Amino acid sequence: MVTEAAPEFETQDLLINVGPQHPSTHGVFRMVLEVDGEVVKGLVPYIGYLHRGAEKLCENNDFRQGVGYMDRTEHLAAHNAELSYVMAVEALAELEVPARAQWIRMILCELNRLSSHFMFFGAFGIDVGVFGTPFIYAWRERETLIDLFEEISGDRMMYAYFRAGGLAWEVPANFKERVREVLKSSRQGVKDFDGLLTENEIFIARTKNVGSISAADAIEIGMSGSSLRASGVDMDIRKTEPYLFYDQVEFDVPLGKNGDVFDRYYVRLQEMEQSMRIIEQCLERLEDGPIMPEKMPRMLRLPEGQEVYIRTEAPRGEYGVYLVSKGGNKPWRLKVRSACLSNLQALKQMSIGQYVADAIIILGSIDIVLSEVDR
Amino acid sequence: MTTDDTAQGGDEAEAAVAEPVDALEDTIWPSVNRALSAVDVRPERGALDLIVHVPRANVVRALRMLKQDDELQFNYLRSLTAVDNEADGVDVVYHLYSIPKNLNVTVKAMLPPDDKVLGTATTVWQAANWLERETAEMFGVRFTGHPDPRTLLMPEDMTDTFPLLKSHPFAEIELLQGELLGHDRNEGDRE
Repeated sequence: MVTEAAPEFETQDLLINVGPQHPSTHGVFRMVLEVDGEVVKGLVPYIGYLHRGAEKLCENNDFRQGVGYMDRTEHLAAHNAELSYVMAVEALAELEVPARAQWIRMILCELNRLSSHFMFFGAFGIDVGVFGTPFIYAWRERETLIDLFEEISGDRMMYAYFRAGGLAWEVPANFKERVREVLKSSRQGVKDFDGLLTENEIFIARTKNVGSISAADAIEIGMSGSSLRASGVDMDIRKTEPYLFYDQVEFDVPLGKNGDVFDRYYVRLQEMEQSMRIIEQCLERLEDGPIMPEKMPRMLRLPEGQEVYIRTEAPRGEYGVYLVSKGGNKPWRLKVRSACLSNLQALKQMSIGQYVADAIIILGSIDIVLSEVDR
Repeated sequence: MTTDDTAQGGDEAEAAVAEPVDALEDTIWPSVNRALSAVDVRPERGALDLIVHVPRANVVRALRMLKQDDELQFNYLRSLTAVDNEADGVDVVYHLYSIPKNLNVTVKAMLPPDDKVLGTATTVWQAANWLERETAEMFGVRFTGHPDPRTLLMPEDMTDTFPLLKSHPFAEIELLQGELLGHDRNEGDRE
């Protein structure tokens, strides 16, 4: 007959510290897990190790210099980060951006989404435990994209290529051919991934119904981007509040159903196909023309007492820039709304009741960039 | 010069007086005004979204009304931050979004510089949790009733320094070097 364990045999919860320097934490992130056997009962995240005060820096430098700091907040999708910032300055300075510059921005932002998602697949593959093939495949594809960015801007990650008003300089003469070339290789890369992971039994066993979050909870916590859409919420700023020329191209917004790790992976995979669709349409519409407004002031000064909150759909979710101007050539207040910070808030809720090993892939599936979380 | 300036200032002042109710008919102000009829609010036209100024005692109540209103349904908190206006106090700024209705509104509450206390919005959206922690450590705003009032990005014991206040020096070393060189780094901006 089984009797209850005597009090002296009762189990005790164990605290495990993960990070701040740990391969599974995607950067400098620390979490303390409270576990009962292998099941997570509590989770306390610690962030801030990469805080560099980007907002304060922007407030003490003029509007041109801010672009560089935006790159460093989101180094895996720097074009998207720059875009929110220059759009905020343009909105207050009432600058008219030429069509060619807008199309090129759109192409670069979507290419950046591809490179960022490739990065996700590589890192996520490692989290799930399939080191090697997916990681190297992802890096190979990302490398072709980064080569293209380097040809255009001169830098692999910190592009500083967008300017308030347009672009820093004209793209190389063979831009269209190069983008088509890269697209061809990326398309094959996405196909490879689909074949490697999507129907892989081990992968499905590890990711299906793990770390689920309902649509209502995801909204309540303020999640955005692919992680929110994986829960079935149809919120894509490119559709709901179109900027650039997103209202002139056709694309679909892939949605998930269960909001689990698998859905967050699969939504991103489908998004890449849509990005390529957008880029192809942009290439067709791209025509010669100026890339900066004709009457561009030499020194940018914004009107006094104005403010704007610009949001764009970056690869990790809503990247917002809140700019307050009180005249002069510097922002009075510049706030960066980090998509990853809000997404990371959901980690606790997703991980409780899951296995320790799953907490790692749940973290990976949110696709965080710690430099954007901490800014 | 001076006469021009005063003339312009006069025009602006008149425009500001003439603006209120009429000019906002094309925005969502009528709906917001109806939803917030129990609260004393003041609208302002923003560059993109409507801005609503709410007295600080009613902020959390107003936010909940905006969230629960059937016509507006502001169920998503985009961003929460503060702006230091020095002598004019600190503005706490909420950017709300309605996913079902695709609407945006900005809510602002002014706090006097010597009494930066505000109710917590975590009871309205969980999303406010970390955002309020960040605002608290950066601006010294105290959110009463916050479930987890620790620092977020700053060291745990750094509770008396608020880096994003305008009174906090920027890059002290550079300032010091500038002084030693007899160079005022703000000189160029004032012209």
